[in-house]
Amino acid sequence: MSDAGSAAISIRGARKVYPTRMGLSERVAVDDVTFDVAPGTIHGLLGPNGAGKTTTLKMLLGLARPTAGDFRVLGASSRTPGGRARLGFLPEQPYFPPQLTGDQAMRLYARLSNVPASEITSRIAELLEAVGLSGRGDSRLSAYSRGMLQRLGVAQALLGRPEVVVLDEPASGLDPVGQRDMRNLMMSLRAAGTTVLLSSHQLSEVEAICDRVTILNRGAVAAEGRIEDLLNVRGRTSVRVKGAAGGLPPAVVALTDDVALSGDTAVFSVPDASVRAAVDALDDAGVAIVSVAPKRESLEDYFTALLGRSDSSKEVSS
Amino acid sequence: MIRRVSAIAGAVFLDAVKRRVVYLVLFFGVVMAVAIPALPSYGAGVQSAVYREMALALTFAAALALTLGLSANRIPGEIERRTIYAVLSKPVGRWEYMAGTWLGIFGVVGVCILGFAVVDVAVGWLVYKEVMFQLFEGAYAIWLEMGVLAAFATAISGVAGAVVVTTAGLTFLFAGHSRGSLFPPGSTGLAKMLYPSLDAFDVVNPVAHGSGFGPVYAAVMTATFLGWVGVLLLAGSAAFARRDM
Repeated sequence: MSDAGSAAISIRGARKVYPTRMGLSERVAVDDVTFDVAPGTIHGLLGPNGAGKTTTLKMLLGLARPTAGDFRVLGASSRTPGGRARLGFLPEQPYFPPQLTGDQAMRLYARLSNVPASEITSRIAELLEAVGLSGRGDSRLSAYSRGMLQRLGVAQALLGRPEVVVLDEPASGLDPVGQRDMRNLMMSLRAAGTTVLLSSHQLSEVEAICDRVTILNRGAVAAEGRIEDLLNVRGRTSVRVKGAAGGLPPAVVALTDDVALSGDTAVFSVPDASVRAAVDALDDAGVAIVSVAPKRESLEDYFTALLGRSDSSKEVSS
Repeated sequence: MIRRVSAIAGAVFLDAVKRRVVYLVLFFGVVMAVAIPALPSYGAGVQSAVYREMALALTFAAALALTLGLSANRIPGEIERRTIYAVLSKPVGRWEYMAGTWLGIFGVVGVCILGFAVVDVAVGWLVYKEVMFQLFEGAYAIWLEMGVLAAFATAISGVAGAVVVTTAGLTFLFAGHSRGSLFPPGSTGLAKMLYPSLDAFDVVNPVAHGSGFGPVYAAVMTATFLGWVGVLLLAGSAAFARRDM
């Protein structure tokens, strides 16, 4: 976790309680959520539906009033308009006035993002090109496809050259090429020093590009840390071998209980302390070792296991 | 601040233009053309006064429908369609959004009322061979009153849906013109003094039956308008700032 003072985004003790009908009871949507996003990183915000991701983002963006908590972007409270001056936001489903053209919508958002009047035209052209909408600025948004609206949403989020960008399900509605472009865009933003807070259901996307993740469940932080720290299985090493069609040597079989065999390739894990013994046994049996690396879960497996735990105990890695 | 308010106002104006609200002026012209032959026959001077009364009434009715239609739906519609997310997540204050929305509606209504007034004056000249410039003064008063109504409706629309806004707007208008019937003529007192009245904008008599109102009255009316709008938008912004999107 980075120091809150130097964090690009800092959320402290976020809590949101909604009164239910007639105000007789209340529902806690977000409860004491705290995390920081370090500058120049891509930070994933994960969680199942109803985990409190969107509510947390809405409070950060001033769209919902927190019951409690402190929300800061680059040190300034993001609850005030001035505090959002260096922030760009792509809503989960980017809705724009359908009767406007792409250019008109971008011009409106440029003025709201304080883009200098002399730069608006060139900035719009530059961003429409960057998101693959060059030449479509004259079309009405009612004629845009879902993917085109998503791309326009990204373009409007970047209008004010924000140092921090919050993207809520950016790959939603995009075809595979569009998803790849989106991933490249996020990585190029990071390379340029922009901080990205990414809320996504696409675990493979998060695993591929995020430096850290925060996982929310039932309104609270269930886990937080660097992807590799969360996914590495402590104490076990993964071994991939070729030429094992006839089976693994008995000495290796005795060390492992998770062999996955496909053709003559096998993948299995052994305790860290037994790696040397396993490698020697494989060498003696003439099996080719392809790789030896710390065992790592997929984010999907980790996510599923974490949310499945009944105690929902919080995990934090440094 | 002015840039953001004017950007939102411009978007509201552009939206209304694209929705062909301007066609309302054409429809108004047709209504006027149909209504003229229905006027009863009076002496020459009296008939033109009756015409001016009718023109003001139709202008008021058309402007009322337009004002309530725009202001009751704009913010609730933006919230429902979630187009408001892309606006309020930018460095835009809720009060700037509300003020810009009101300004845009006020502008659209102003353009349409000007169109109505041009139709009124043109028809008056064609039928009665009389240039009735005082109808522009009447149109100005109606515009200001619709500005107050738009401020009220926009303020309410930050926390309520279109049906509630329309009902509340009509009630506000009715109550605003009820001071005369609630307090007997010549009565005084704090309640009458503080009663929120819109009577300042009622200029039917000087416009229809006289030669219009003077610049001093126009200034008083404008000051009343500014006071109303300021109070209503401040209250509306305070309530809107507490709303979750």
